[in-house]
Amino acid sequence: MKFIYRIVFCSVMFVVSPTHANAVLLIESTTQDLAAIASAVGGQYVKSSSLTMGTRDPHFAVAKPSMIRRVHKADLLLLVGADLEIGWLPLLLKSARNPQVQPGNPGYLDLSEAVTLTGVSTVGITRDMGDVHEKGNPHYWLDPRNGIKIANAIAKQLSKLAPEQAEVFQSNAVAFADVLNAKFIEWKQALRHLKNKPVITYHSSLDYLAAAFEFNIVAQVEPKPGIAPSAASLSRLIDKIEKNKISLLIMEPYYERRSSAYLQQQTGIMPVIIPQSVGAQPGIENYADLFDAIIKELKIGSQ
Amino acid sequence: MFSTTLFSWVIRFACVLFIFNSNSLYAIEAVSNKAQSRGMDIGLTALFSAGGSSVDNLTLSDLQAGGHDPARNGFTVQNVELSIAATIDSYFDAQSNFIFLINAEGETVVELEEAFLTTRQLAAGLQLKAGQYFTEFGRQNSLHPHSWSFADQPVILSRLLGGDGLRSQGLRLSWLMPTDWFSELLIGAQNAKGETAQSFLNAAGEDVAGYILIDRRARNSGDLLYSARWLNAADISDTISMNVGVSGLWGPNASDTESDTTIIGSDFYIKWQAINSQRGYPFVAWHSEIVQREYEALNQTNPAHEILVDSGYFSQISWGFKPGWVAGLRIEEARSEGDNSTDPMRDNRQRLSTNITWYLSEYSKLRLQYNQDKTEHLADETAHSIWLQLEFNMGSHAAHSF
Repeated sequence: MKFIYRIVFCSVMFVVSPTHANAVLLIESTTQDLAAIASAVGGQYVKSSSLTMGTRDPHFAVAKPSMIRRVHKADLLLLVGADLEIGWLPLLLKSARNPQVQPGNPGYLDLSEAVTLTGVSTVGITRDMGDVHEKGNPHYWLDPRNGIKIANAIAKQLSKLAPEQAEVFQSNAVAFADVLNAKFIEWKQALRHLKNKPVITYHSSLDYLAAAFEFNIVAQVEPKPGIAPSAASLSRLIDKIEKNKISLLIMEPYYERRSSAYLQQQTGIMPVIIPQSVGAQPGIENYADLFDAIIKELKIGSQ
Repeated sequence: MFSTTLFSWVIRFACVLFIFNSNSLYAIEAVSNKAQSRGMDIGLTALFSAGGSSVDNLTLSDLQAGGHDPARNGFTVQNVELSIAATIDSYFDAQSNFIFLINAEGETVVELEEAFLTTRQLAAGLQLKAGQYFTEFGRQNSLHPHSWSFADQPVILSRLLGGDGLRSQGLRLSWLMPTDWFSELLIGAQNAKGETAQSFLNAAGEDVAGYILIDRRARNSGDLLYSARWLNAADISDTISMNVGVSGLWGPNASDTESDTTIIGSDFYIKWQAINSQRGYPFVAWHSEIVQREYEALNQTNPAHEILVDSGYFSQISWGFKPGWVAGLRIEEARSEGDNSTDPMRDNRQRLSTNITWYLSEYSKLRLQYNQDKTEHLADETAHSIWLQLEFNMGSHAAHSF
């Protein structure tokens, strides 16, 4: 009997591990934006995919078994960080049984460390303030200049994992930056009439977009981050819109539309729905596509 | 004797795996890095209910047999749970859950619900869990009360796995199989003794179907409770994901010195979530489990052997129709072979429940639930109960799995 138990244990425990000795690095990202940038930088030497879809709010993903399996096999995990994925990534990392992608190891890259975050809390945070991120506002990919920083950080990390391709990753990152820098001038030109204009957003998620294109966010539809608007909060907002002569309301596609329709009806403010991520709408395949689509919507909405 | 041999072998294999797993080299780097996992995550969730039933408290306590069920006309402290979790070192994660509740006599009860560690870096998709923990049988048994979709535990689980759910001390090995879809195999051995192993050695003096349990002690590894579970999961589309599991339990019971219990079950969970969901809404989730127990009942004073067969199922749908709002419907049936119409834990019973839950934020919720019970031991009477449940949680809170 003893012998049988040992045989069972041996056979279960000595099963050959699936090795990571592929020529192609498997990259899993928490959002489609990071996956798209990683794909641009890694080129043919990586296989890049996203754990969540750009059509959904990445705060509220769930650690599905299919995601556990993918992180288990990954060589590199890219995350937005600043607690954006706090609701699901820790559980995923615990379940994935892949030491390489644990924090501190070369397979784990938190891209919030590659950029300068705004809204870092210097005072104590309580939950009465809503969904405030103590480490700073995590929606930094909406500034194209941060996209370049992300690409550089990914190139550096890929070079550690596959040193023989370091030059390729480096030149891909440079090419990526060149395209974005050229486009950024065009995009700013297209939105020059918005410069210093007051706008409102639904959630406190567009601060970096505002910084890049120099418009001013003066209020949010949500009274506190993550808290649904009430009749009282909307009525205060109507006063503010009228007082400051705000004509533009910018929001992501996944928020409810009743509040914006009500505000439009009361004040004439123009709601503009912008895609917030690669994959949020059909046709947004890469990072530059995302800003092409955002600029197009903002231009139409603000004319 | 055998148990110690088995244990030493497990430790030996674990050591070998640590040594040969090249990834463990990274661990040293992780420690020197500003690892965010250095601190402890401490959280507290509290679950209260108020309500009443068309039957009196004594009858109600038979109907609401779960240890955390609202079971009194008036107010119930269902569950106050203190959770502490941390990464111990580069080899282990650990978690501990302490339960506080106030029983029908008004006394505060403290339970060590769980305290276990799991390995961080075994090779080949393996993970070992050791300590006191909920047995991974089906989907519902290892869920904590604050993540239940209903205010109370399914009838068949209260009957077969016990009011507090099945949990005990032991060791469990899980293997994430190298398949093209998610497939996980879990095999475990736990102590069979104690009130939280109700269908097994349980506690002396308790009765099961009229058999008064003896004080049966584990003599060798054959007297442990063995468990196995095979969980498969797949994404059917971008919006639909599904889990299918089968589980089994094998162990001794205390109706006599040579009697055994077998429990088998199957569980199914499927969830649809809108492609452009806001805060995870709208969604529809359907969760069903079917369970059967064969309890070998022997008795020295009555030489006739008896196999008690109990079975049942529950099937529940949750519909998150707008952010923060979930409507639920659950149907359940529990039965046993033979005439047990006067035994509240074995008679034929059907329960229908419907509820609506409002999550004011991620950290608080209100739930209103209606139960309709048709059960043989209440003769022709149908019991109607209404429960209002309030939950809050503070501190950090572990993420929920799919």
